[in-house]
Amino acid sequence: MSTKRVLLTGNHAAAWGARLARPKVVPVYPITPQTPVLELLTEFQAAGEFDAEILTPESEHSVMAACIPASLTGVRVFTATASQGLMLMHEVLHYAVGARAPIVMVNVNRTIGSPWAFWPDQTDSVAQRDTGWIQYYVENAQEALDTVIQAYRVAEGVSIPAMINLDAFYVSHALEPVAIPEQELVDAYLPPYRPAHFLEPGRNESWGNVVTQEMYYRHRRDIGAAMDRVPALAVEADRDWELATGRGWGAIERYRCEGAEIVIVTMGSMCGTARDAVDALREAGVAAGLVKVRLFRPLPSAALRKALAGARDVLVLDRNFSPGVGGVLHQELRAALYGMKSAPQVHGYLAGVGGVNVPPDRIVHFAREARASDAEPEPVWVK
Amino acid sequence: MNTAALPPTAWTTGTTEVFKTGTWRAALPLYLHRPSPCRSACPVSGRIADWIGLARAEDFYGAWTALVENNPFPAVAGRVCHHPCESACNRAGYDAAVSICALERHIGDLALAEGWRFPETPESEDRVAIVGGGPSGLSAAYQLRRRGYAVAIFEAGRELGGLLRDGIPPYRLPRAVLDGEIKRILALGIDVHTGVAIANTEQFLRLHGEYDAVYLAMGARRQKRLPQLDYGKSRVMDGAAYLAAANAGKPPALGKRVAVIGGGSAALDVARSARRAGHEVSVIALESEAQMPAQREEVVQAKEEGIALYDGALLQSVSNGKLQCLRVNFKGNNPLEFTKIAGSDFILEADAIVAAIGQDPDLAALRPLLAVDGALLRTDASRATSLEGVFAGGDVASTARFVTQAIGMGKQAAAEIDRWLMGDEPLGTPHEDTVPGAAINTFYHPRAERPAASTLALGERLHGYAEVKGGFAAEQALAEAARCFSCGRCTFCDNCFQFCPDMAVRHVPGGYAIATEYCKGCGLCVQECPTGSLVMREESR
Amino acid sequence: MGQMIDMLCSGHAACPGCMEALSLRHVIAELGPDTVAVIPPSCLAIMAGPQPFSGLRIPVYQPTLESSAAAASGIRRALDVRGRKDTHVVALAGDGGTYDIGFQSLSSAAERNENILYVCFDNEGYMNTGAQKSSSTPHFARTSSTPAGKHSRKKNLTEIMAAHEIPYAATATPGYLDDLLQKVRKAKSMRGLRLITLLVPCLDGWGVPDHFGVGLSRLAVESGVFPLYEVEDGARYKLTGPGKTRPVADYLNVQRRYRDVDEAEVEQLQREVDAGWQRLLEKAKPC
Ligand SMILES: Cc1cc2nc3c(=O)[nH]c(=O)nc-3n(C[C@H](O)[C@H](O)[C@H](O)COP(=O)(O)OP(=O)(O)OC[C@H]3O[C@@H](n4cnc5c(N)ncnc54)[C@H](O)[C@@H]3O)c2cc1C
Ligand SMILES: Cc1ncc(C[n+]2csc(CCOP(=O)(O)OP(=O)(O)O)c2C)c(N)n1
Ligand code: SF4
Ligand code: SF4
Ligand code: SF4
Ligand SMILES: [Mg+2]
Repeated sequence: MSTKRVLLTGNHAAAWGARLARPKVVPVYPITPQTPVLELLTEFQAAGEFDAEILTPESEHSVMAACIPASLTGVRVFTATASQGLMLMHEVLHYAVGARAPIVMVNVNRTIGSPWAFWPDQTDSVAQRDTGWIQYYVENAQEALDTVIQAYRVAEGVSIPAMINLDAFYVSHALEPVAIPEQELVDAYLPPYRPAHFLEPGRNESWGNVVTQEMYYRHRRDIGAAMDRVPALAVEADRDWELATGRGWGAIERYRCEGAEIVIVTMGSMCGTARDAVDALREAGVAAGLVKVRLFRPLPSAALRKALAGARDVLVLDRNFSPGVGGVLHQELRAALYGMKSAPQVHGYLAGVGGVNVPPDRIVHFAREARASDAEPEPVWVK
Repeated sequence: MNTAALPPTAWTTGTTEVFKTGTWRAALPLYLHRPSPCRSACPVSGRIADWIGLARAEDFYGAWTALVENNPFPAVAGRVCHHPCESACNRAGYDAAVSICALERHIGDLALAEGWRFPETPESEDRVAIVGGGPSGLSAAYQLRRRGYAVAIFEAGRELGGLLRDGIPPYRLPRAVLDGEIKRILALGIDVHTGVAIANTEQFLRLHGEYDAVYLAMGARRQKRLPQLDYGKSRVMDGAAYLAAANAGKPPALGKRVAVIGGGSAALDVARSARRAGHEVSVIALESEAQMPAQREEVVQAKEEGIALYDGALLQSVSNGKLQCLRVNFKGNNPLEFTKIAGSDFILEADAIVAAIGQDPDLAALRPLLAVDGALLRTDASRATSLEGVFAGGDVASTARFVTQAIGMGKQAAAEIDRWLMGDEPLGTPHEDTVPGAAINTFYHPRAERPAASTLALGERLHGYAEVKGGFAAEQALAEAARCFSCGRCTFCDNCFQFCPDMAVRHVPGGYAIATEYCKGCGLCVQECPTGSLVMREESR
Repeated sequence: MGQMIDMLCSGHAACPGCMEALSLRHVIAELGPDTVAVIPPSCLAIMAGPQPFSGLRIPVYQPTLESSAAAASGIRRALDVRGRKDTHVVALAGDGGTYDIGFQSLSSAAERNENILYVCFDNEGYMNTGAQKSSSTPHFARTSSTPAGKHSRKKNLTEIMAAHEIPYAATATPGYLDDLLQKVRKAKSMRGLRLITLLVPCLDGWGVPDHFGVGLSRLAVESGVFPLYEVEDGARYKLTGPGKTRPVADYLNVQRRYRDVDEAEVEQLQREVDAGWQRLLEKAKPC
């Protein structure tokens, strides 16, 4: 047996990742453009290839509400959603983190209503950044598959749930050749889930009792400590995966950043276009580079500071919008680099909000424009 | 900070039992063995709730054993007791009193039919003499004998039984029943001297010297007489004499029409016996029908049997078989308290007059030795007379002229004699609050009818002395036993345990206990107790 | 009643005489130790204990208010894949968490016929938050959010759930403990989604003395306000309690929450109860 290579959409690749990770309970609710994930998993199950309880409640809220205690009952849990669905889950996303339930969820980034729209936009997931979920943003189908599996290693290592975000259509529906690893390989990489505590008669352990202020404080602090371990764990999980499959993605990826004066920073599918733009700029003699933020939560600040040290300009492309502030990655990066000796100036461009297409030449243009000007404190709307 | 010592912030490690919620409480439930009102009203202080409970569980032998602890005459009492227990019964305030008396009869009859006997008790050195073999004397003899004393009864009559034999007619108390219960007492080993009257001071003093203690239970055998009557005439007689003869099967020949004077049980017994002897009978009573001291049932049955009742009537004089009478308004218990109704005179014709207006003890022989109280022997709360070692009870020492009162006094006297012989302090009668009706949660006691006892058809009553009142069938008895609330007698129904929201009622050997560290004092256990066996007691901290 | 082994622990923080605590005690004792419970925010969660102490001797998961049925489903499926198909999963939720905010997840679990027992501890209001109205609060009852009395009627959860054609839907109340236990026992022997609507008078919220919860629970039944019955597969109705033997006024008069109802309102309530009984009788008629 050897690794299969097949043409898969990002959604189907994510579903394959889930299948290979062998979750035992999969509560899921359909929403465009996540539906193919759900459909393929149910097909796998119907074909006897996926040994999991799939449960289809009336809402994403109930999906996540079922995920948490299923996970606390000691089994691996997977789900997928998008946009409104993620919004509806909001309350229980926090709950999952408090419960220290290492659920893995794929979120297909889609605009949030109103008005109704079905375009790629990451506002849905960046809006969940304070819930305490680990967040990955992936660029293509292969990365989606690989990241689902890696995410279990990390999530279960720190008992924090993880969300893998893929842009609607650009990733979710784009067909790409994808290498599907052997089950044995994945099994060796990802051992069965064996938590220290779980709900089971006879164990005399209950979960969710009211705590004192002091306990709440400690509980939150412990979550923080667990989050702090994530970047290193994510790097390790990725390195092991690379050893096993030859594919590594890093917590962040530096593309042609050697001696770069301007570094583009972005997440998700935009990274592919930005890579082309960087190539074009380098060709044109501009020392440009790209930093892809794959792990957004926790933000690998140390790695970012290191990666961006020496650049004069950093251009953040945000496919999300937080009214009153601007691009979320822009904010995050400014905060991450603040106080750094000779910190680069950070330009925040709202590019691709609402799913508008941002081709490489536009990014080239943005980069040149940014290099030529001082960074504005306010976000810049661009198309 | 040493985090290992801090409680985990998620996943529990212990239980809430660490929280002692008992501190919330202002009152604590208490298991109390309060007497049932029936028991307090019962002249023998019978463990009614207990024996009914045993009967309900179909342990009839156990029920009988509990019954005879206080009364060796259940079959007799089950027929003739005036049953104050039923008037006191908590169930009376709900639907109808439990038929305690009929149940007692059922068990008493069963014991006779089965030949159940009292356990044998070896005799000790101490000897007690009992004067009078009526219910009170027999009761004392029984209780003393069961305590191990050697007992001798001295009875003036030829047979034991006192008024049970000489007074109460066989149609109310069949002689087989009476004889059966007396025989069972005697089987314990009692020295009986019948036909021996302790009739003078010497005899009495000899007895007092020979025995360690004496119980006087001679009854009240001297018939009170009406000044209006000439007892020298052949057809004027005492009720007691009439009944003694009639009960012995030899009713005196008194002509056709008999007028009976009196409103009590005795008068009605005379009247009904005379009716059975074929007479036309009238009863003249000072009291109105409702006031008559006879039991209601007796009055009703007497009327059924064709006895003419002249109630609220005073016999003024007699001449030539004509009884001059006058209607009166009777005021109270005292026979002198009445007002005459002017112009209400009437005349009643009769061939014979039998007066049964009460009896007094004959104290002539004892007066020089013992203190008296009016017509009665004086006794204190422990039934002791003025002479050391001499006790008295029953009709000779009390105006409460009832069979079970006599039995109860006999029982009490036995206990006091025992106590006295042992050199202990007098026992007296401790007073305890009884279980109030409000303490019973009637949800657990669905309303149910009190069964009516069967009575002999009228036609069959007047020929002979067949018993008028029937007993319960077995199922009836069980159903009736089930109606008892078991006031104050825990039935181990488990409600207090089951209804505690705090698991603060615990099973312990023999019953229940409150876990005071957790009880919040809600009172649910008390509220849901079907038997009133728990109360809330306020606590001060 | 057999030897009862308690699964509820002393020391819990429910009010003295709490009917919810009493019912919880019996429900979980009857289910036994091989049970996992789900308890959303409610007075029941008070009984579940403060961390790190549990009021129950069975594992409890406390979900968000609206998601008991979903949470129970998640646990059910997880236990199933772990091979514990015979372990009972029971949701123990208040009326607010059931009739209102948790209703959609319950309806869905019922539609999926998840193998869980759902017991709604119906104290006819949001008691944990200070006795506000829920859609289970009855007509004219005063709550802290309906100070002039509630203007609309109580939802009928049991009927709604029976209409889902779940295997078992029943009403019960602690005043009829044997009936309650019998229903838990029956539900326990079945699979699929089973629902018990458990009327639990709230002493403080309804305004009765501490010792009177059981008595009030009985008045609710005897007045026909809360008939005891069960429905199998949404079709087979069976009355399990005593008939309607008292006027509704007997039930209302002892409760502070009905303190201000006037005669017309009492009559109206009587009509509503009578009509409800009639409907139930027709459904329960042997055919
Ligand atoms: C006609 C009648 C009907 C009654 N019906 C009822 C009834 O239905 N229910 C009820 O509760 N009560 C009834 N009573 C009252 C009841 O019978 C008496 O209260 C009760 O019998 C008193 O018991 P006792 O043992 O004290 O006396 P008694 O029964 O009178 O017994 C006293 C005994 O002492 C004997 N005796 C007397 N003097 C001496 C002596 N000097 N030496 C030796 N022996 C002596 C007597 O011969 C007698 O046997 C009735 C009374 C009468 C008269
Ligand atoms: C989403 C959400 N909204 C509101 C609350 C606040 N809350 C906690 S308990 C409760 C009332 C629950 O009422 P019910 O389910 O009837 O239980 P009870 O307190 O009466 O036992 C409410 C509103 C909450 N916990 N979650
Ligand atoms: S109900 Fe039973 S125990 Fe209570 S008073 Fe009546 S007979 Fe006695
Ligand atoms: S029911 Fe329990 S908590 Fe309430 S008073 Fe009785 S023992 Fe105490
Ligand atoms: S409730 Fe039952 S078990 Fe408890 S004291 Fe009363 S009778 Fe006895
Ligand atoms: Mg409620």
